[in-house]
Parts: sequence; C-alpha cells; structure tokens
Amino acid sequence: MNLSRRGTALLATGMAGAMVLTACGSDDEGSGNDGQAADRSGQVVFGESTDFPENLFPNIAAGNATSTANILNGILPGAFNVLPDFSITHNEDLLAEEPTLETEGGTQVNTYVINDDAVWSDGTPITADDFEFTWRSGKSTDPAEGGCASLLSTTGYEQIESVEGSGDDNKTVTVTYTSPFADWQSLFSGDFGGGILPAHLMDDEDPAVVCETITEGWPIAEGLPEDISGGPWQLKADGIDVGTQTVVLTPNPEWYGEGPFLERLVIQNIGNDPTAAVQGLQNGEIGVIYPQPQLDLVDQVDGLAPEVESDVTFGLSFEHLDFQTQDPHLASLPVRQAFAMALDREEIVAQTVGQFSSDAEVLQNRIYFNNQPQYEDTAPEDYKQQNVEKAKQLLEGDGYTLGPDGIYTHPQRGPLQIQLDTTAANPLRQTTIEVMIPQLKEAGIGATFNANPDIFAGAEKPTSLEAGGFQAAVFAWVGSPFRSATQSIYWSPENGLGQNYSRQGTAEIDALYDQFVQEPDPDAQTELGNQIDALLWEEVATVPLYQKPTFIAFQSSIQGVEDNSTQAGPLWNSETWTVE
Amino acid sequence: MLFFAIRRLLGAVLVLVGSSFLVFALCAASFDPLSKYYTLQPRPPESFFANMREELGLNDNFFLRYWNWLSGVLTGDFGETINGTPVADQLFARLGVTSRLIAAAVIIAVILAIIVGVIGAVRQYKPSDYTFTFLAYLLIALPTFWFAALLKEFIAVGLNDAFGRQVFFTLGEETAALGLYADGWELWSDRLAHLILPTISLALLSFAAWSRFQRAAMLDVLGSDYMRLARAKGLTYRRTVVKHGLRNALIPLTTVVALGIGTLFGGAIITEQVFVWNGMGRYLLEDGIGDNDINVVLGWLLVSAVFVVVFNLIADLLYAVLDPRIRLS
Repeated sequence: MNLSRRGTALLATGMAGAMVLTACGSDDEGSGNDGQAADRSGQVVFGESTDFPENLFPNIAAGNATSTANILNGILPGAFNVLPDFSITHNEDLLAEEPTLETEGGTQVNTYVINDDAVWSDGTPITADDFEFTWRSGKSTDPAEGGCASLLSTTGYEQIESVEGSGDDNKTVTVTYTSPFADWQSLFSGDFGGGILPAHLMDDEDPAVVCETITEGWPIAEGLPEDISGGPWQLKADGIDVGTQTVVLTPNPEWYGEGPFLERLVIQNIGNDPTAAVQGLQNGEIGVIYPQPQLDLVDQVDGLAPEVESDVTFGLSFEHLDFQTQDPHLASLPVRQAFAMALDREEIVAQTVGQFSSDAEVLQNRIYFNNQPQYEDTAPEDYKQQNVEKAKQLLEGDGYTLGPDGIYTHPQRGPLQIQLDTTAANPLRQTTIEVMIPQLKEAGIGATFNANPDIFAGAEKPTSLEAGGFQAAVFAWVGSPFRSATQSIYWSPENGLGQNYSRQGTAEIDALYDQFVQEPDPDAQTELGNQIDALLWEEVATVPLYQKPTFIAFQSSIQGVEDNSTQAGPLWNSETWTVE
Repeated sequence: MLFFAIRRLLGAVLVLVGSSFLVFALCAASFDPLSKYYTLQPRPPESFFANMREELGLNDNFFLRYWNWLSGVLTGDFGETINGTPVADQLFARLGVTSRLIAAAVIIAVILAIIVGVIGAVRQYKPSDYTFTFLAYLLIALPTFWFAALLKEFIAVGLNDAFGRQVFFTLGEETAALGLYADGWELWSDRLAHLILPTISLALLSFAAWSRFQRAAMLDVLGSDYMRLARAKGLTYRRTVVKHGLRNALIPLTTVVALGIGTLFGGAIITEQVFVWNGMGRYLLEDGIGDNDINVVLGWLLVSAVFVVVFNLIADLLYAVLDPRIRLS
C-alpha cells in the first residue's frame, strides 16, 4: 500500500465518520399537539436562559429551578396568582368564587370552592382530594410523622390541621390551621413554588410510598405522570428533547378556561450568554427572551426596534449591604450608623440599576418593595442623603481619631478598614462596591472590594455568610409578595442563625414578627411590617440599596407578552399570547 | 506495535486515576452543592440539608467518596448528578453532539491546512504565500468567541436578511423542537444548516494554526538531500513534492492534529457556548462547574482524558505508518 492509497483510505474513513456523526442525533419524533382548535395558530419559542431542568417535581431540590417553574406555570393549577403589579388574585378558572378567610379562637379557616368544570387532562375532576394530598404530601419532613425528608419546604402546610372536602362532587375545600398563617394565599398556588398535585396519580395509603414518589420526582426524561395537566398547557413526554434541551407545550385538550391561542409554546434552553440571546432574537430563531439584564444587552435590544420590543421592570429581588455585627468595629452601633450615613445611595443607584431605567429608586424598606402598595419609606432622614460630617462626628464620639492617611483609627479596634465581600463575577455588585469605596473614604472609612467565591457556601467554609467570616457583604434576597419568609433574616440570633447573617436582633422585633407572620388581615400586617422595618433602621445591621431589574424582549409580532417579575415569571399569561 | 499500544494504554490508566484523584480533590475542596439553598426564602429546614448531605455522600470521608466514585466507574456507573440524573446518560449523548460538531470541521481544517501549507512552502515568498500567511495569522489572532459572533452577526443575520429567509442559524443543533414533529429531508437539511456556522468557525480557526505547521514541515522537507536526489533521478517536480515531500511533511502535522482532535472531544467549549450546542463543553461549564457537581466534572474529565490518550496513541501509531523507519517496540 502506498501513501496515496492509504491517505485516500484515511480520508474516506474520516469523511464517512463525519457523515455518520453528522447524521447521528436524537431521533425523537412526535406527533405534536393533537388538540389544535380552529382559532389556534402559530408557535412561540421562549429562550430559557437558566439551566435546563433535570426534574419537574417542584417541591424537591432537583425541581427547584426557574426553568421548572416556567414550564409548570401553565400546567399545575393554583388557587392564587400574582400579577405583574405584585397584587394577588384568586384563579378564576380553577375556583368558582373568591376563597373565604375566617379567624376565630386562635385558628384560621379558609374555604375554597372549585369550579365544576375544573378537570385534569385525563378527565379526572379536580377535587378537594387534590388539595388534601397537596397538603399531606408537603406538611412534614419527618418520616416518623408520615413526612418526607426530600421536601424543600413545609412552610405554611405544617400549620394546617386538616383539609376536608364537602359539597357536590367534593368540590368544596375547607382548610383549618392550628394557628393563623398570614401568607395562606401562597399555599396551593403554583406561582409560589408548587401547585396542586394530582392525587389520583400520586397518592398511596402508605406514606413511605408517597415519600418515595416525591423523592424520585418527575425526571425530565420521563416527563409528568400520564402527561398530566390541570392548566392551559400540557407537556407530553414526547414533547421533551433532553438532547437539544427543548420542551414543547401544547394546549391541554381538557382545559376549562380560555386559550391558549398558540398551537405550541416551545421552551428552548439558550444558555446565559446575552449575545447569543440577542442574536437569536435578531435572527428570528427565538420569540421571547428573559435574560439577566446587562447594559450592553439592553442597548443592543433597543437597537432592534421596532421588530423587537422590550421592557425593564423591577422585581422581587433586592440588593443590600449586611454588616457582621460581631466584627470589632461593626459591633458598635455608631460605626454602623456612620457607615450608612457615609453612603450616597442615590449615586449608587444612578451608577448601577439607574443605567437600565429612569424608574430605578433607592429602596428604603427591607420588608416591602418600592412598587408594592404596602411600601413605606421608613428610613430616618439621616440616611436618605450622604452626611459625611455627621458620620465623622459619630465615629469621633465612639473613640475614633482621624489618622494621617485619612482613615479613622480606634485605640483598641485599630484602623477602620472594612472589607466588602460579594459574589464573584457579578458586575452589578462590583460596581456597587466600587461606587461605595470613595464615598466611605470621604468619611474616613477605609473599604476594600473582595469577590468571595465561598460567600454562599456552608458554615464549613470560614469566609461564608453562614460561618460569619466576613465584615460587610453586598448580596441580594430573592423574595415573594408574601413577606413572612423574611422572619428568619431579621430575628434574634437566639432563635437560631436562620438567615440572619448580620447576627443582630432585638426582642421587640421578634415580638412584632411573631404577630406579622400570624396576621391574615393585609392592612394590619402591612402596618406591622413597616413598624418592623423602622426598628431595623434603628439597628442598621443591614442597609437596603435597590431592587434588581428584570428584562424581557420579544418579537413585536407576538401579542400579549408582559413581564411578571415575580415567581410567576415571563410565561405567566402565555395562554393569552397570539402571534401574527 | 501491539505491545507498545498495550504498554501505553496501561500507562494511560495510571494517568487517568491520578488526574481524576487530583480533580476530585480540587472539586471536593471548592464545590458546595448546597450553597444555592442557604439563601432560599423561606430557607429549607435543617432536615432538608441533613438529608441532602447524606444523599450526596458529603458526610463521608474524602477517600471513601473517591473510592465510591472510582469503584462505580469500574462497573460502568458514573454516578448521578446532584439532581439525581445518571451522569452516563448525559455524558455519552453530549459526546455525540460534540462529535457532530467537530467531525466535519476537523476534516475541512486538515484538508485546507495541507493544501495551504504545501502551497505556502512550494511558492515561498510569492504573493499567494504572503496572502495565506496573512490570513492564517489573522485567524490565529482572532478570539474564537469574537470570530463566532462576527459570523453570526454578519453572515447569518446579514445574509438571511438579504435572502429574505432563514438560511443560516445561530442557535442550537436544530430549529427548536423540529426533531419532535419533523423528519426526513426537512429535519436533516435543518441540522446541516445549523452545522454551517459552527463548522466554519471551528474549521477556520483550527486550519490557521495547522497550516503554519504544515508549511514549516514542508519547507524543511523541500530542502532535504533526498528531494534533490529524487529530482536528479529524473522525477517530475510534482511527483517529488507529492510522493516524497508531502508524505514526510505530514508527520509533524499528524501529531498536532491528533492531539487537537483528542482535546476537542472534551468540548469545543467556546464554540459550543456561542452557538448553544449542548455538547461536552457546555456540560462541563454549566452542569459541572456551574452546579458545583463533582460527578459531572469527573465524568467529563474521564471521557475527555480517554480521548486525549487514545488520540495520542493514534498519533504514535500513525508515525510508524507514515515513516517506515520508525519502529515501535
């Protein structure tokens, strides 16, 4: 064999291999939607920028993903929905009337009446049994009590004493709590992590079997049990392509509400590269994107108008500065007050989220967000504008003297040098700290930036928030319109660390929080929340900075798209979307 | 040659065990798969964390954790992701995607590199040589992500606008969900169309460096005594260059290409990221490092390392095939 023949053979083998490999791929084929109605047309591709889900069961760690929530939003029914303005409204498709609330003798009773037409996609009626199973399967993590250790949260469900059905066809649900639960609307609701589960497909007399079912969840490769749906969309197993990280939602043929008006809603994972998202949109491969906003990205998308529309809104996540109050300097209240007074938060907002939208504002409340109706500006005047002189007075009154380098020093605590930790590779937080540093320097406070890769790690990492090995940290809390969950952030350390990484609290705040989490009356709860925040300003263990923006962009040929920056997500009203 | 191959493979096993242990140690020291749950609101109960630690084996001794992984691999079990998906299922599917991505690109790059390298050497310092040299250095200097972005911006979007329909694609291996409801020519033509830009990107950037190797090797060979002897014996210039020159000049390129292919099987990481191909590179970045998932990183390492080792071996064996003077023993 000479070289040319051998080379030809190698080349031929390589080409053949290439052709075979090129032709190899997933062979997923499916019939698609077989329930198309005459008034449905077109499809929309949503570019999912978070991780492709590995499991679709929302109540366990494996299913705790934004992408899972986006898929399930139109599949698992819920009693309440959260609207883009953060208001809560009952699901008029699922429920025949607004649920009632009664509080008597230290207990709470809610009554839900399910719509007679409400059925699962296999024709089984949605009844009180589904509510009862949702509660029973989610109320405890203790196997000895019939619970399941895999559950991510039992909040609220653990306070329920019973869920009972009554009425014609078991459509009336009476939920009785052992003690009042202020955020009762967050339960049995898909928009808040979960939704009503199909009892007829998951229930078993043996709690251990139920726990096994929960622990296994709904692996993405298998889809949902029996392709079940109780919402406008259905995800069939053959509509899932794990290889290309795509799922296809088709209209639920048994849906009892209006819509959907699309033949398909395709959710394709496009990764978190903003350039890829914009080019996909520009090239017409993607219909809707919902990436993390970055300045370049917003500018690029603005340049695609009028073919592409976009919107920046402010969501339920807020950045804040936490002080570690066991630090020798920051244990002192005057130092924390001086720190807060030295900051020009208007300037911080202008240099960060103000670049995205002129609607950006300084957040003056830790419990409520600027765009919530409950929001009150509870910040004392001293903290609303930078006040360098008063900050210096406070430090000098606390025993600090100004050194020749312009930094205050304390005889016992040493130079007032504070390291500001934050997450690695987060430009928004880095800019926030870079704006803070010269402001603090003006008041004689030395500050340095530190990208801490272990900031959210467990207590075994010494520099994590959990371990307390930091001085001050900038990070975000991602919340919901229901604010009871903030209790463990601000309670006294005597209650356990919880999420109180500043390790500061008072008995007065604890007492008010105890009322706050048990107050079902919205007005009374609002008053308590704002009282708590006013007390938190007195401690200055955390300083709120700003709400984080969310960004949605879509082809202008798609009608009905509107950002919902809560957990409901960008697909919250996808059953109303139409396409030209 | 057989004993040589066996000896090399045995040595490779030790390399794989050593490298996997090192990577395991690094990941175990830096990964915290529970970190994303600490700041959830409401915070999960402590029993949840205890259960997760137990499930993921985080309470076990470091060496026991490594041994559990290693013994699993020996029986074909690469473990599960932190979310309970078998790593092996994903790993081999991802390998298929990466193979599709790199196969055509490598072949095109090799052919172009040989042609351009030979022309550059044979016509040294002629306009064609200067042109190819300029192009090669330009391509070598271009960062992959930028070159790919240019292709998408100007080739895909620009030409699609000009044609008034979608000819080039910027995202994924096929049009979203097309594989679920289409087949035959419609599906395959769509997949081929999705291959065009990543293939061009990968092929041109690989070709640029390889063509310089080929040119240098060819120049060495052209100045050899045996080439002059071949000409003196009356062989034509073309026959001398192709039969005597090219064959010897291919040897250095073989090594470079073989090592390059072996590495590419670990994922054309940037190309996959830019064109959103769910291959090995994205698996490492997003599912492994992004999710603090030690089993994914180790699974990726093992498969990638195997390809590097195998293609190294292939390079050595091809040496002997291309140059009969080399004997492997």
